Amino acid sequence: MRYTLVGYLVSETHKSIWRNRMSSFLSCGTTALALFLLGVAIVISLNLQYIFTDVQSQPEIQAYLKMETTDQEAVSALKACEAMNGVAEVRFVSKEEAFSELREMFQDKAAVLEGIENPLPASIRLTTFRAEDVPGVVEQLKVLPCVEDVIYQEEASRNLAVLGRVSQALSLGGTVIVGLVAITVIGNTTRMTIEARRHEIAIMKLVGATDGFVVGPFVLAGIVLGMFGGLLGAGLSIGLYNYLTTSLGSILPFIPILSLTRDTALNITGILVLTGVAVGTLGSALSLRRHLKV
Amino acid sequence: MTALIQVRDVSKAYPGGMLALNRVSLDIRKGEFVFIVGQSGAGKSTLIKLLYREEVPTEGRVIVAGKDLTRMRRLEVPFLRRRIGVVFQDFRLLADRTVAENVEFALRVTGFNGRDAKKAVAQVLSMVGLRSRHSAYPGELSGGEQQRVAIARSLVRNPDILIADEPTGNLDPDTSMEIFRLIERANRYGTTVVVATHARHIVDAMRKRVIELRRGTVVRDVRRGAYDD
Ligand SMILES: Nc1ncnc2c1ncn2[C@@H]1O[C@H](COP(=O)(O)OP(=O)(O)OP(=O)(O)O)[C@@H](O)[C@H]1O
Ligand SMILES: [Mg+2]
Repeated sequence: MRYTLVGYLVSETHKSIWRNRMSSFLSCGTTALALFLLGVAIVISLNLQYIFTDVQSQPEIQAYLKMETTDQEAVSALKACEAMNGVAEVRFVSKEEAFSELREMFQDKAAVLEGIENPLPASIRLTTFRAEDVPGVVEQLKVLPCVEDVIYQEEASRNLAVLGRVSQALSLGGTVIVGLVAITVIGNTTRMTIEARRHEIAIMKLVGATDGFVVGPFVLAGIVLGMFGGLLGAGLSIGLYNYLTTSLGSILPFIPILSLTRDTALNITGILVLTGVAVGTLGSALSLRRHLKV
Repeated sequence: MTALIQVRDVSKAYPGGMLALNRVSLDIRKGEFVFIVGQSGAGKSTLIKLLYREEVPTEGRVIVAGKDLTRMRRLEVPFLRRRIGVVFQDFRLLADRTVAENVEFALRVTGFNGRDAKKAVAQVLSMVGLRSRHSAYPGELSGGEQQRVAIARSLVRNPDILIADEPTGNLDPDTSMEIFRLIERANRYGTTVVVATHARHIVDAMRKRVIELRRGTVVRDVRRGAYDD
């Protein structure tokens, strides 16, 4: 005897989205933009984790030697290093070794390195007994004539961390702002639907429709819009990321970039769709509270 | 037997201090047909709105089918309304739905499935004489036909009570009489009817119970009454 609420909701929701297709489209678009930014933030934080594990596996200090350094110069630099205060271990890494390490790092993607002339410099890798010794050793390394550049973990990590945190904060901030805009836009779409259907709602109440029947289609419309926004945002952010990693990966193969697995991509999509649903529910519910008093 | 509708010492003041009803008491038993008459502003619509809980009294109690509407929780209101059909002067039909869809609407939004609803709609449409017009839109109907659709919608659930607030206010005398004949037919099937109206000739012709309001109080309540004393 009872008509399922579900069947009723589906047909009414479909109608209300379609009748307001312009503002529905707008709602969906802003939600998608907000969730795209959230997607970007997630991808950045995944990459940060990836880079940090990568950085931590490197020796503490690397002194890159100038390309034109001769073997003799290298040997004397090595000796100088061993004589420095606080230095525990010193190891020379030739150009060839560096290149084969790179190949290893790339594993299956090593093909991109074929036919390329080795661009890597030789380097000296040092570890110190104590962390305090690092700055002193770095200073001494910098004045050696054949040393081109010195990088050490602390600095590299600090720079990466700052860069990562800034970009993360920017995209998260963008997510919050655009998310609020999306809630407002969905709320506004809901309000327009309510206005357009005031007469109908009054009749529903007159003939004894429960609040669930009156409000249900509006909430469901909000949820559906948020969900599509989430899917769209996920498609955009994951698609763009994959495009960037494949094109960047061939231009700048040294940068450690995480390529997304299917599972990670699915997880991100899940998070974005759920957030979209939350945004849609919130937008329509707030608007209903204000404009329908149920 | 206690009355189906009991109004007890009811006063209604609207925001702004206007006292629309002043200590009104009346009983309406199951199966009765009652006219509410009185000058404009006497409080007829206000009394009617109390019966389906569109408004709540400032003082006093309204009891319908054993339920005290003044204490009724909001969640219960829809279930009260399903037992009461309401008809207005302005029909209140949905212009973008056909005759059948307008009637069916009342069932669909209260949880009936499509097939059950269609059967009930066909039955009530033939009762009001609009079976052949079921696919027409309200804009294609005369005022009298539109009011028939509204009556069909109000009756499709077989309500205990049919309430009408000036149902023929927009109709000519002959059409008005047809509408009242229809309402009387619903009354013969057992539905209790309460109608607020200015239609003097009809009240005089039908000779039903007449309750007259004047400035918010009951000044007359007679069986087989006329529009004036
Ligand atoms: N929502 C409202 N807010 C304030 N005052 C109201 C409201 N509704 C009605 N009134 C006032 O209450 C009084 C009774 O109004 P009501 O509509 O019940 O009269 P009525 O008998 O139905 O009149 P009519 O025959 O013109 O329809 C009037 O003075 C009216 O101005
Ligand atoms: Mg009135």
